[in-house]
Amino acid sequence: MADGRDVVAEAIGGWLSGDVPPSSRDRLVDLGRVRWFEPLTEIDREGDETREFGIVRHGRVALRTFVPSRGWVATLTIEPGDVFGWSALVAPHRATATALAIEAVEAVVFDATALRAAVAADHALAAAVYARLLEAVARRLASTRLQLLDLFGAAGYAPW
Amino acid sequence: MVTMPESPGFLPRAQLERLIGLLREDGRRVIGPTVSDGAIVYDEVTSIDDLPAGWHDEQAAGRYRLRHDDGRQVFGYASSPTSWKRFTFPPLVPISRVRRDGSSLAFEAVSSDAAPMAFLGVRGCDLAALRIHDRVLSQGPVQDADYTARRRSAVVVAVNCTRPASTCFCTSMGTGPEAGPGYDLALTELDDGFLVDTGSPLGAELAGRLGTRPATSAQAAAAATAVGDARSRIGNPVDTGRVRDGLLTRLEDPRWAQVAERCLSCSNCTLVCPTCFCTGINQRSDLAGQESVSERVWNSCFSDGFARVAGGDFRPRSQDRYRQWLTHKFATWVDQFGTSGCVGCGRCIAWCPAGIDVREELSTFTATQPSTVPLAIPRATPSVADGFSTATVREVRVETADTTTLALRWASDLAAAGRPGQFVMLTRPGLPAIPMSVSRFTDGGIELTIRAAGPASATLASSKPGDHVGLRGPLGVGWPIDLAIGRDVVIVAGGIGLAPVRPIVDQVLADRGRFGAVRLYYGARTPVDRLYVAEYAAWASRQGLEFAEVVDRAGGDWLGRVGVVTQLFDQADWDGTSAVAFVCGPERMMQAAATTLAMRGLAPERTFLSLERHMECGVGLCGHCQMGPYFVCRDGPVFSLAGLGKTFGREGI
Repeated sequence: MADGRDVVAEAIGGWLSGDVPPSSRDRLVDLGRVRWFEPLTEIDREGDETREFGIVRHGRVALRTFVPSRGWVATLTIEPGDVFGWSALVAPHRATATALAIEAVEAVVFDATALRAAVAADHALAAAVYARLLEAVARRLASTRLQLLDLFGAAGYAPW
Repeated sequence: MVTMPESPGFLPRAQLERLIGLLREDGRRVIGPTVSDGAIVYDEVTSIDDLPAGWHDEQAAGRYRLRHDDGRQVFGYASSPTSWKRFTFPPLVPISRVRRDGSSLAFEAVSSDAAPMAFLGVRGCDLAALRIHDRVLSQGPVQDADYTARRRSAVVVAVNCTRPASTCFCTSMGTGPEAGPGYDLALTELDDGFLVDTGSPLGAELAGRLGTRPATSAQAAAAATAVGDARSRIGNPVDTGRVRDGLLTRLEDPRWAQVAERCLSCSNCTLVCPTCFCTGINQRSDLAGQESVSERVWNSCFSDGFARVAGGDFRPRSQDRYRQWLTHKFATWVDQFGTSGCVGCGRCIAWCPAGIDVREELSTFTATQPSTVPLAIPRATPSVADGFSTATVREVRVETADTTTLALRWASDLAAAGRPGQFVMLTRPGLPAIPMSVSRFTDGGIELTIRAAGPASATLASSKPGDHVGLRGPLGVGWPIDLAIGRDVVIVAGGIGLAPVRPIVDQVLADRGRFGAVRLYYGARTPVDRLYVAEYAAWASRQGLEFAEVVDRAGGDWLGRVGVVTQLFDQADWDGTSAVAFVCGPERMMQAAATTLAMRGLAPERTFLSLERHMECGVGLCGHCQMGPYFVCRDGPVFSLAGLGKTFGREGI
């Protein structure tokens, strides 16, 4: 069984692109640790400071928003290979949704403060991390646009 | 046996009465030019006195006036706001009837009222229009029975045009001023009578009974001069050689928006056009609800809602509708029927209240355009297109709050003829027939999954076991499942789009060994909007079928995936290079799916989509579901992405 550092390295290897200098990669591996979340554990709460950035290895995380009169509405689930807590790296470092483990989740997480310090100090690492982060956020933006269109919704009255 | 004289005859003016009399003696209703409501109007004539002697028309863009002189000329006008299609393709024709007897329904076709007719005074342009309608309505994959019967019943007495209007451009379209093929007799009006050409054995027989004498060379020369003068006056206003390509390569030209600022979307142009053939189907019921008649009525691509579907309207703007009309008439009509849809009669110019001159619009698009490679349009092979037959509701399954699946017992040969991806027209008395994809083929029947979007679909969705419904089909081109044999299969469905792909799943699972990896990705609006939930476990349990679903949004109790359907495979590790994809859902979702599939290596030639368009006839005759060169009902609804090309996802097409 792989030890924690191997798991962290594997998760980072799967997430980052290949052209990161080994020293930068190692720096990131040093920061990572494996965390397990029991089902229904709140990982982040919307509006609170984001304390960790994470890469999901197993399980499913739902990003939810509380809507008075409608209750919790999930607008995205994060599957293995995808990330949560990107706001740890983007000011004002506050969660944009409540992240809830809806299954048992295994993730590799990074302390937000330490991660920010690492990317501030290592521009090669920053370039790699922010590029992947932007890809993840862009993918969510594209999906959110489609969701916003409510394509499957009832289109109002039809004459037939 | 009657032999056709090679040289023309001559009919003294007074003898025209004899021609009308002969036609009437033969039991024909003679339709010819009359003066009515300030215009030349084709109507029944019983004698030469009904003809518009001395009347002439003056036409210009947005203008039509009659003037009278003391002359005797009876064909001294260019055209009429009416055209012969009023008689071959009337504005309202009953096409089918359904009677209710207790709980059972009896569907029957209404036979055509095709009493013998004779058309007197058909111009070259209008004769060309009849030939075009023959091609569209009688010689395509599906025949319009009513048109064909009426057309066959009509004797055509053409008139070579000697008095064109300023709006005429038959010379450019190659349809006049001489009458082309298809007449029985052709007259050329001279001062003292008519030069008579015969174009058919029936025409020769009529000429024989009329006792025409051979025309003198002077008479023949006078006729040729008169027609030649007409040709010179018209000139050649439109460069037709570049029209088709010019239009299709400039679909985004700002000119469309400019002309739309003037266009009132009044549909006058399509109503006066002798070739426009778009129709709708109205339902008329008796008050007791015992009998309901379906009536085919003229419609227009300019009508509001002509391209409306349950999810919206594909051509909501005036510029979309004007572009549809012009590009169909002059470009995609060529792809569909091998001929232009315009005969150059100029009616649309004169009767446009805004004075839009189609010649001027066309010149914009023919000015400086390069040529393109013509599209290759597959010939459609529609299946059973006969009338409605009765099916019985066997079982009703409520899928979601607004969607119900009806399991129907239906004549086994009809159901057995169907292929996954095909659709049927579904109706009950008093309701418009609605197109409905077959969501399952069963032993001795089919299943249909209906979303209640309006009164007809809601009524059909509320059917009870034992109820009768009417079905026509199966229609259209289905999924090319054969192409997927030996290959990996990717199925992407969204919302109610799962219904048309379910027969693919059935077929793949029934013959699992013949396909590679099979992946089904399904996106729905919310967890309670998912269809066929009870079947997912069985699908996923079969060896090698990967099923993944996602919803747009969910409440706190949903433990499944949330997002959009493309997220189910945009980061997958499978290679789609040799796979076949079948995609069905809202068009915008299909665009996103197609883009993501392309990233996975799917070839556009092996990516198939099922399109939704407004369908009424289901067999490519009513015009509603046109998309570029295609009739979606007849050439689709399943198309390859490569086949659709740039037409797919384009605004206003």
